Amino acid sequence: MRVFGMLYMGLVALVLALPIVVVCGAALNSGRSMFFPPVDPTFERFGEFFVSEPVWTVALWNSVIVATSAASLAVLMAWPIAYMLWSTGSNISKTLAGLGSLPFAVPPIVFGVGLGFFWAFTGGLGEIWAGIISHAILLLALPLVTISIGLQSIDRSLLDAAATMGATDQVAFRTVVLPQTVPYTISGFFFVLVLSFNEFIVIFFVSASSYATVTLQIFNSLRNGYTPTMAVAAITFLAVSILVFSAVARWGDLPRLMGADQTRK
Amino acid sequence: MTVADDIPLAKPARAGKATQPFPIRRVVPGVLTTLIVVFCVAPFLLVLAISFGRKVDGAAWVWDLTFENYQRFFVGVLWPDEITLLYLQQLYYSFYFAVIASLLAVLTALPFTLLLTRLKRSTQAMWLVFILSSLAMSEVFIVMGWDILLSNNSGLPKLFRETGLTAWLKDVGWFQTLRDWGLANPRNVKFKTSDFATVLTMSYLVWPYAVILLYPALSRLDPSLAEAARTMGAGRWTVTRTVTLPSIRLPLLGTTLLLFVFLLGTYVAVTVFAAPEKHTTAVAIYSNVRGANLNAPFGATQAIMLLIAASTCLSLGHLLNRKAEGAR
Repeated sequence: MRVFGMLYMGLVALVLALPIVVVCGAALNSGRSMFFPPVDPTFERFGEFFVSEPVWTVALWNSVIVATSAASLAVLMAWPIAYMLWSTGSNISKTLAGLGSLPFAVPPIVFGVGLGFFWAFTGGLGEIWAGIISHAILLLALPLVTISIGLQSIDRSLLDAAATMGATDQVAFRTVVLPQTVPYTISGFFFVLVLSFNEFIVIFFVSASSYATVTLQIFNSLRNGYTPTMAVAAITFLAVSILVFSAVARWGDLPRLMGADQTRK
Repeated sequence: MTVADDIPLAKPARAGKATQPFPIRRVVPGVLTTLIVVFCVAPFLLVLAISFGRKVDGAAWVWDLTFENYQRFFVGVLWPDEITLLYLQQLYYSFYFAVIASLLAVLTALPFTLLLTRLKRSTQAMWLVFILSSLAMSEVFIVMGWDILLSNNSGLPKLFRETGLTAWLKDVGWFQTLRDWGLANPRNVKFKTSDFATVLTMSYLVWPYAVILLYPALSRLDPSLAEAARTMGAGRWTVTRTVTLPSIRLPLLGTTLLLFVFLLGTYVAVTVFAAPEKHTTAVAIYSNVRGANLNAPFGATQAIMLLIAASTCLSLGHLLNRKAEGAR
């Protein structure tokens, strides 16, 4: 049974890795078309993606701007909501948290269409700041969850102790609440960063073809056939994801963030 | 209330808060409420409002309060002279692909997640990094990967031919079965376009989500329960059926529903892998709002119908669960 279980996990790993490995391998092709295994392997495509081809460098830059700004914005919005939810548990904070998670819970294409209309009326359609806000709202649910988990991990008796010793709410917030929630805030930031980087359908509707992120650029090129440069994009994104999640796992408690039971190690 | 209230020392601090120049505790909730209502709720209301609008020739539309779009969705423009069920059929295919793919994902993720929760904590973290990374992979990258793997000139069909698997399949007669299923052309196996490839890719898309959603519930499963049942002589299968499965019924149902709703909106995988006559509502929404048709009100109607269908399923699931809870 044990062997069977390990076999199953191995099989899963294989299937999960299969398309990723194929895409990564295809990046090494020297020609203009994708072959797997790669023909005449070279690293030239990496140069094209990061340095020489403006289509890709601009798209990469756009992706970076959208992802980092959206992540910061989402965390900034999620913090007060999560804090209100934790400290007061009031109905308004519950409603806010529920509504804030709504875009993440419906089929993304519906929210994308809605935002497309919304920005068309407010003049943001095709503007990069509108893309940033859209992603921040779409992914708001993630920092909401991670920060809430972080706040719940605070022992309330610590706060009582601080209050007994004469600390004001502000001081207690700065010395007790903030330090304990920093890892969870950072995790929330990175979750948004990575998912925004890879998000396609919402940015597709709100960009209105006036700018392209990497995922959009790839979708645009999908019809004309794949080029190995696109595979380099995939590798870059994958590397960023692995790096980010490894960092979260290294400095934060990833199993706990994912909701594992605390009592068992 | 804390003990601090009774201690005189704490008093000055509290007085200081009352004279705070900027009433942050009152302003912040107001600002947040406004932001959330404007950005999270308004887009959906706009879609609803526009779904009653009317297209005018010349690729534009005007506000209106007509039910024509809804009529068109259910029975077509020419009703009652002629009935077109094209749009309902698209919705049907949205459901068809989403149901199969979400079930497949949950059923294969369940044993995996169970095994995962029994590993050491540090090993679990490594697996989670791997799974999260594949979760974060964009739909376009995943479709690209499977496209290379499944396309006729490279990947699996080529592998089948080169290794002689195709010839072998022809010898034993299974090739004809594959052809009947639409998975082969006269010369070799083919996966593009096919339901198989669509479901496979969609399932792959949400598989990491399935693990992440099942993980909390499964990691809280008390192993002593199963062990107790085992010591009392219950077989492995009996334990699974009578102890493990009932205790995770709720997260199992919840996960399947969430993945299903998410998959209803799949766009890239369907355009690349599904046969054109099996394209879904999501594809139709795109072609109306951004693509060739340019009929935003009708696109909005389809989006609303998709949303209604999704929420109906969610509440049905909720209801079923309530019933089951009550029956116990």
